[in-house]
Amino acid sequence: MRKKLLALAALAAVLVAPVLAQGGKESGTAASAKEQTLDVYSIMPEKYATVIFDAFTKDTGIKVNFVRLSSGEALSRILAEKDNPQVDALWGGPSDTYDAGVKEGVFAQYVPKEADKIPANLRSADGYWTGIGIIPLCFLTNNNFLQKNGLKAPTSWQDLLDPKYEKQLQMADARTSGTATERIYSLVKVMGEDEAFAYQKKLNKSVQLYTKSGAGGAMPTATGQAAGGIFYLVDALDIQQQGYPLSITYPKEGVTYGVEGSGILQGCKHPEAAKALMDWASSTKLGTVMNDNKICYVPTRPDIQISNPAMDLSKIPLVEAESTWKGENRQRLIDRWVKEVIEGN
Amino acid sequence: MADLRREKTRMIQKDPGLFWALLAIWIALGIFILYPVVRLVGMAFMPDGHFSIVSLREAFQDTYTVKALGNSLWLALAVSVTGTILGYLFALLVTRTAMPKVCKALFSAVTLLPLISPPFTSSISLSLALGPNGYLLRLFHIPDFQIYGFLGTWLSETLTYFPVAYMVISAVLETMSANLDDAAMSLGASSGRILRTVTIPLSMPGIANSFLLLFGSSLADFATPLILGGHQFPVLPTQAYLEITGMFDLHSGASLSLMLLVPTLIVFWLQRMVVGDKNYVTVTGKSGAQSAFSPLPIVAKVIISMVCALVLAFVLYLYGIILVGSFVKTWGVTNTPTMANYQYAFKFGKKAITDTLKIAFVSTILGSILGVVIGFILQRKQFIGHRLLEIGSMLNYALPGTVVGIAYIIAFNKKPFLLTSTMAILVAAYVFRYYATSIRSVMASLEQIDKTLEEASESLGASTAGTFLHVTVPLVIPAVLTGLRYLFIHSMTAISATIFLVSVRWTLLTSRILESMTELQFTQACAFSIILIIIVFIADGLMTWALHMYSVHFLKTKEATK
Repeated sequence: MRKKLLALAALAAVLVAPVLAQGGKESGTAASAKEQTLDVYSIMPEKYATVIFDAFTKDTGIKVNFVRLSSGEALSRILAEKDNPQVDALWGGPSDTYDAGVKEGVFAQYVPKEADKIPANLRSADGYWTGIGIIPLCFLTNNNFLQKNGLKAPTSWQDLLDPKYEKQLQMADARTSGTATERIYSLVKVMGEDEAFAYQKKLNKSVQLYTKSGAGGAMPTATGQAAGGIFYLVDALDIQQQGYPLSITYPKEGVTYGVEGSGILQGCKHPEAAKALMDWASSTKLGTVMNDNKICYVPTRPDIQISNPAMDLSKIPLVEAESTWKGENRQRLIDRWVKEVIEGN
Repeated sequence: MADLRREKTRMIQKDPGLFWALLAIWIALGIFILYPVVRLVGMAFMPDGHFSIVSLREAFQDTYTVKALGNSLWLALAVSVTGTILGYLFALLVTRTAMPKVCKALFSAVTLLPLISPPFTSSISLSLALGPNGYLLRLFHIPDFQIYGFLGTWLSETLTYFPVAYMVISAVLETMSANLDDAAMSLGASSGRILRTVTIPLSMPGIANSFLLLFGSSLADFATPLILGGHQFPVLPTQAYLEITGMFDLHSGASLSLMLLVPTLIVFWLQRMVVGDKNYVTVTGKSGAQSAFSPLPIVAKVIISMVCALVLAFVLYLYGIILVGSFVKTWGVTNTPTMANYQYAFKFGKKAITDTLKIAFVSTILGSILGVVIGFILQRKQFIGHRLLEIGSMLNYALPGTVVGIAYIIAFNKKPFLLTSTMAILVAAYVFRYYATSIRSVMASLEQIDKTLEEASESLGASTAGTFLHVTVPLVIPAVLTGLRYLFIHSMTAISATIFLVSVRWTLLTSRILESMTELQFTQACAFSIILIIIVFIADGLMTWALHMYSVHFLKTKEATK
């Protein structure tokens, strides 16, 4: 009798699992008939994506379910789910993540209706992804720290080697963050590859911590735990807007910029709804929503009025780095960074 | 040996119930533990469909990886030693001193704090307190020391995991019979001698279990080293996580994490050696009137109280930072109190909160049932494949969560096990990972309970089910409670495996908190953390109360039948 009870209990545990699974699936299939819903992995932070998708739902009536993931997590998942895509589109995240996915055949081709209004270097040549925002790199430093140490906000890559910054900077780890790879692209474009790595080995002395996410060091910089770091403008402006005493500056040698992409997954369940999102994103609507809500991605459409002067690209010493070049060199540069900067020290 | 085997076979034949229970358990373990691991090993060894040890050889040739392996072991050892010691001190203080009940409740509540918040939350307040320019450093004029590295990770993991040791050990100390103390005392032993020769030796199962659990937790923890390890102190789970999430390299991530299995199995084996077949039965049917435990020696009591008070104060301080953070507008700049963060949390986090609660509830129920059943069978039954079942059932617990997560999405994204994007995949991940404590503490508890009690009940004509429900279950209630609480807490707070399993339909509070942390919404993250902590506290209180009522009821019926 007791054994039967045990067997029953164990069996119940096994049997309940598939029943629970059923509940999840139904809600998905019921909605797909009219394509009034859209499932998305968002690399763009949730607080921005929520606002943007709300506006999209208002305009089109399509409801967006999304979950936010880091670019690496999103791509790992999309690759793992390749045979049975769980979402319809990928939203935000650096364009080289998209190029890496294109190589694995996970993205579908689609050229949005107004894509021709977006400069060609801000979208995939073969129509696999479309740019939705531009984000230059910048320096972010804590004003209190600068004052206390008699420093001016850095205006050159060389400024960061000042011994006063020793173990004071936080910046992202290239193994997990697109911000960090962008930093390496910038240095390679500005200095040449070997010189860039020699510089980074020296810079390592100033680094207190390499953070997992691109924006990870911004909060410590704001609260004074760290003196500063190298961030994407969108993150730097976001934390500065919260009221912290921070300076945003640029190295006079120049910085590269990231292009945030968007794309449809091959074999997804709501292709029409996904296309509607791509069309909406390439219209003037997206840029307007971002500008109105202080979401600091510079719109990819040049015809959108930006009210924040800090986002005027003509005032930033930009250096070009093509997405294809980034994609081809990404892995090699990360490997070299890990070998020489992280493991070599 | 052959005889034993034949006898075990006969036992199964004689005991058809055991056969069906084992079959059901093995089916469940096969689907939710072995199959994903096999797929994962396939990923590590057969990157292109052919067997190859290239990834593994590459991993071992890489000095950085070898260093990470060494660091992982060293860290796990340090954490399990300090955590177990700290847990033991707390358990002694609560079970062996005449503290007022209110004090005890407060004590238990505070020790829960590190356990019921996601590990990265306390890591972040730790870096605010002891990191560069940290509050405590400035307060006591301590010069900056490098918290990023071994020191910070060790400190944070010890604070995070010592409550596990406390829970496991205090369950054992509580079920111990005080009659032995009595006997020792009447034979003239001092309280110090009793502690040394009775209490500590008898709590060996608890100590060994706590050591194993902490070692495993530390080996698998990726979040704490990710935040506090820095780049100078690589550990394997973090490296595997970076390989998988950052470099899109499932293959080398998989082989890195497989390297963790070997040390885990060694500790597991060691633990078996320590507890071994020694006799720890203290709860027998032969006891007379219950008497009180021998008090601790005065010196020990003072030192233990001071250490515990200091640790408690520090833990409270760390959580004070989070609490204050949840009520301010801009951390460190605009310190005017506001409810805005909570309004934000309830507006944008409602789905995460309700989803998490549903998942945790179901996981706790299923996991506890399975844990008690497996623990009971492992401790009380002999059958072929006993050791295999013991190891198999604990495998997911030993593997780093990141790897379990990735293994799950590889394994359950195709028919016949199409589970991605469902609640079931999250529940399964929690159940088969965190029922480990349930199994372990039920086993440890049963080790102390003489089998003759059950036999007596059966020979007096009670049905076997009745015996299980009325004799075995009430006796292991403290252990069941430990398992239940641990399961619920982990289902509410764990992140390493499930960060890969959250979907557009099922999301979790912890991933929302990590999200807020990385999105520069520190104050909102604090508010989410406080909400999570309050929910777990309430649920935990309810569970304790319900089980307490059950045992009181049980005692009453026992009195009545006398």
